[in-house]
Amino acid sequence: MHFTLSDAQLAFREEVRAFLDRSLTPAMRRGAALTSGVFAEPEVAQPWQAALEAQGWLVYFWPRAAGGPGWSAIERWIFETECARAGAPVLPGMGLKLVGPVLYTYGTPEQQAHFLPALRGGDHIWAQGFSEPGAGSDLAKLSTRALRDGDEYVVNGQKIWTTQAQFANWLFALVRTDAEVKAQRGISFLLIDMATPGVTVHPILSASGDHELNEVFLEDVRVPVANRVGDEGEGWSIAKFLLENERGGTGYAPQLLADLGRVEQAAPLTGPLADRAVRLRLEAEALEMTELRTLLEIERGEPPAARSLAVKLIASEVRQGIEALAVDAFDMAGLTLPAERPFHAADAPAAGPPEARLAAARYLNARAWSIFGGTSEIQLNILARAAVGL
Amino acid sequence: MNFEASEEQVLLRDMVGRFLADRTDAAIGQGPMLREDWRALGELGLFAFLLPERGGGMGGRPQDAMIVGEELGRALAITPLAESVLAAADLVARHGSAAQVERWLPAVLSGHAVLALATGDVTVRDGRIDGRCDHVRWAVHAAALVVVHDDTAWLVPADALGLDIAPIRLIDGSLAGNVLFDGCEAEPIALPPGAAAASLATAQLAYVAEMVGAMALLYEQTVDYARQRRQFGAAIGTFQVVQHKLARMFVALEQCRSLLLKAGLADRDDPGFERGIVAAKAYVAAAAQHLAEEAVQLHGGMGVTDELAIGRGLRRVMLLARLFGSADAARARLAA
Repeated sequence: MHFTLSDAQLAFREEVRAFLDRSLTPAMRRGAALTSGVFAEPEVAQPWQAALEAQGWLVYFWPRAAGGPGWSAIERWIFETECARAGAPVLPGMGLKLVGPVLYTYGTPEQQAHFLPALRGGDHIWAQGFSEPGAGSDLAKLSTRALRDGDEYVVNGQKIWTTQAQFANWLFALVRTDAEVKAQRGISFLLIDMATPGVTVHPILSASGDHELNEVFLEDVRVPVANRVGDEGEGWSIAKFLLENERGGTGYAPQLLADLGRVEQAAPLTGPLADRAVRLRLEAEALEMTELRTLLEIERGEPPAARSLAVKLIASEVRQGIEALAVDAFDMAGLTLPAERPFHAADAPAAGPPEARLAAARYLNARAWSIFGGTSEIQLNILARAAVGL
Repeated sequence: MNFEASEEQVLLRDMVGRFLADRTDAAIGQGPMLREDWRALGELGLFAFLLPERGGGMGGRPQDAMIVGEELGRALAITPLAESVLAAADLVARHGSAAQVERWLPAVLSGHAVLALATGDVTVRDGRIDGRCDHVRWAVHAAALVVVHDDTAWLVPADALGLDIAPIRLIDGSLAGNVLFDGCEAEPIALPPGAAAASLATAQLAYVAEMVGAMALLYEQTVDYARQRRQFGAAIGTFQVVQHKLARMFVALEQCRSLLLKAGLADRDDPGFERGIVAAKAYVAAAAQHLAEEAVQLHGGMGVTDELAIGRGLRRVMLLARLFGSADAARARLAA
């Protein structure tokens, strides 16, 4: 047993660091530092996406056959650690991490040829149409209907909590194509051009004042049958595959450790605050090892042990702990909530470190961590069943 | 990066695990391990495996101590492995004179002698030691005491004149001693500055590993109990509140395993060695106590009795969590 990197891995790390020094511009770093939401907005994300794509590293977590660079799990971990430490923007995952793997796994050759290059090139910006007003944790209850009409589906329904839908030109959605069979079996996976008549996006303002979320209304939206991924009724298994892939890369710990470090840098922590920081660091360091244990299993070609089901739960709690610590670390300055959005658009930044100015908004937005992608209560249900074996 | 135990380590784990399973089924965690069992472990070569070559050992690494500690913890075995073998005998083996090594190491290796590790308020003048060290584990059973104070260490044989040891029973059922030195003859151990820290840290690593092993035992027994125990016409493991508690216990155990692994994979001369062990101690001590308390809670009335391993596990974890300092103290060190 050993925890050391090989010479080749150390050389790889140097290569990544050199790339970051070269390609991650001050403007990109500033944009990332001034991002209060879960993902960078296109203005910040797109230039970084283009730089990564030019280097051949954008889809570093895709298999080589799908166009990835063929990195090992440890190389992916090194890359993510270095990006997080350097303060790179966090790219939206809806396209690269969610629909991308669905397309290279379930898509037809035509779909792959059409959608994958447009995704990588940034021409297509994706939103995720899963949740509905009546189907949150109980996703299989979704009621958006898609009725077959010749070579098209006619889609009617409403999606909600659609992150960055205001920027998206494509939506991947779970729709009900058969209301007669068991709920899970009547679901299909459609790709919907958001420019199609009948698609409307309404903003939902978050408590933070940020506009990250939306409602998407679908009214007699005509979608070519060719834009269905997989068979009719296969949507639920594709959705499960997608949710398992939701992390896409390797883990949560690199970003958490880097962000905790930034809070510690920006504010001197003493007494009870320092103790909270230590507790969070220990939890995040343990999470990093938990994730690495899983990565090494994947690397050896073994199915990951049940502990991999715990990482989202742990990461949510550490994330929320870091943002709450930041609020307290900056005292009253941590409770200021400027009205102007996005933060990165302001020409002359206000005084003080961005960690202080964004603390309140980040804290509020981070509450969503224990809700999206399966609430913490759902995560505990899954763990009780699959890990504890009850 | 490789977290897989070597073939040799798998054999080590299996040997210790089987040995303990054969002996502790009926008496799990009930009092310290019998002397004859301790000697049998010595004859199997366990202590030689862990101790440095200068002491007649095979130069085991911290990760070997971690593996053994986890097995001991899983059996709730109460042994002097950490204090006697990994700390006291290790210090003598590395830094003692040839005569000291010759006098004490063979007996430690064979399991015939236990060395106690005493830390406390002592003064040494002209080769004589005065002062007291309280709650010294294994002092009552020890052939000699290794007294560590600041950056110095001395050997005091148990038959030294002026040595008084008052036995005192600890929470896990083991005996410690309040030790009074009244002008005892003390042989110096020639410690280079800072040399004691790595041996004490390795002993601390074994405590952390023992806690993780104990957590695994308590978790597994609690899951079994939740499957069997029926109330309101159903196994209590079908109730969501119980399921979520057990899921939390699973997560805590895995996170503790992870941080233990990180600490244990470092070697004595790695720069982060001691920090990693303090971090693991800080995290695991708090998590282990909480898990043990939850195990008691989910066992209901039976959890608070002395009938089950659960109550004994809590008692053992309470001690392990505080040896060489509490979780709070460890976090304070990390914050400094």
